[in-house]
Amino acid sequence: MRTVVYLDNAATTPVDPRVIEVMLECCGEAGDFANPSAVGHEPGRRARGRVEQARAEVAQLVGATPEQIVWTSGATEADNLALFGAARFHRSRGRHIVTSRTEHPAVLDPCRQLEREGFEVTYLKPGADGIVAPERVAAELRDDTILVSLMHVNNEIGVEQDIGAVGRACRARGVLLHVDAAQSAGKLAIDVERDCVDLLALTAHKVHGPKGVGALCVRREPRLGLAPLLYGGGQERGLRSGTLPTHQVAGMGRAFAIAADHMVAEAARIAALRERLWAALATLPGLTLNGHPVRRVAGILSVTVDGVEGESLLQSLPDLAIASGSACASTSAEPSYVLRALGHSDRLAQSTLRLSLGRFTTAGHVEYAARRVREEIERLRAIVPPGLGAGER
Amino acid sequence: MRTLAGAGDLAAGPGLVCAAAGDAEQGARVRFEFRVEGGRVRDARFRAFGCPHFIASASWLTDRLRGAGRADLEAWDWREAAEALEVPPAKFGRLLTLQDAVRAAARNWPGAAQSTV
Repeated sequence: MRTVVYLDNAATTPVDPRVIEVMLECCGEAGDFANPSAVGHEPGRRARGRVEQARAEVAQLVGATPEQIVWTSGATEADNLALFGAARFHRSRGRHIVTSRTEHPAVLDPCRQLEREGFEVTYLKPGADGIVAPERVAAELRDDTILVSLMHVNNEIGVEQDIGAVGRACRARGVLLHVDAAQSAGKLAIDVERDCVDLLALTAHKVHGPKGVGALCVRREPRLGLAPLLYGGGQERGLRSGTLPTHQVAGMGRAFAIAADHMVAEAARIAALRERLWAALATLPGLTLNGHPVRRVAGILSVTVDGVEGESLLQSLPDLAIASGSACASTSAEPSYVLRALGHSDRLAQSTLRLSLGRFTTAGHVEYAARRVREEIERLRAIVPPGLGAGER
Repeated sequence: MRTLAGAGDLAAGPGLVCAAAGDAEQGARVRFEFRVEGGRVRDARFRAFGCPHFIASASWLTDRLRGAGRADLEAWDWREAAEALEVPPAKFGRLLTLQDAVRAAARNWPGAAQSTV
């Protein structure tokens, strides 16, 4: 089997061996496998202990209290619970929602469904650098606005929004703020209290935890009303019924605890590797870095390559696991809506690569990737028809 | 995609037929050069911007059309490439661009009225 250099950590990350170890302790007969709701017996209480320890670990990473954490199946469910739960519970106060055009489909699709249910949604266009100016958000708040939903870090281009400024503007107007932190938790400092975030969607698998588990952090003081999506056993204080997957929850807790311990150093190391990668690529003409050059998460590099079609470039690089646009959308032939929102033409949006680095990315990986991407860009540019070379439009 | 047979240009000289089609802004553009001798294509080259199926089909065509006459180019149909290379239906539109270029080459054949494509 050919060795493939994995640079798609924005899509998902390999599970950290320390996380796997904790998960395995919650699976077998000798481990903490029991139903954590079955606290009438010792195995159940041990499983409950695992769940509550993980709840504290997740809460600590985002400046919350354990009581604020509601387990979900991932960030998509957390986003859905936040949007539908808040909109439906607070609909008597108003029916206006503000979001941006570059949100993940886990936010945009619920917004479209809420429009069908009679809500009005304002979709803000970011600047060419991908930043949604907080004053633009503030200017859209109305007396009937009940919710703002803004992602912390964009999954395609990696830019970081100023959620603190947006949070303060929302809090001043009594509007709820939901933040999708799937790409930022464990990579950037988050403090829901400081940043006035009412709802925060989290996932484990972007930070070397398992897939299939996430959480919604819900403001408790003052208590925030939320309508549940699932009904059944009344778990998670009635907000999310269903037996908790102890091994996954424990894995998420461990992943977040590891991230908390190493976040600053790891972010610095990964940012240095990203800069090294970009510096090696940028010597070729016709390459553009997408998104704000400084306000960005460490691991995501989005590059538009003029004069080369993205799918062809991707297929020419079977030795690299990289993405063209977001992993969620790359099965579609449609150009990325995020890049189009930034003002890219369809051709340039389709000529974009996303290389995303993670905990296990090495300098050797970056050097190899830079060399191979350069080789294939030059090879494909050599066969384009006249008038389509780098910089020619 | 690793080996792109037929990519590049032919040397200038007699019997050189050029034709292009498509728009890179729409995702696909191709340019063919054919060396015509004795009423037949003796050699062919291509340049292309587009998806892997489009580039691979252009490359395949430079071999497929060797020995073809003007009438063969006029009659060439994109479905032949679709079948030979198992191109998925989502990409059929791109192959029509190749057909446009091949038929433009027929119009540019030595002695024929020049194409405006």
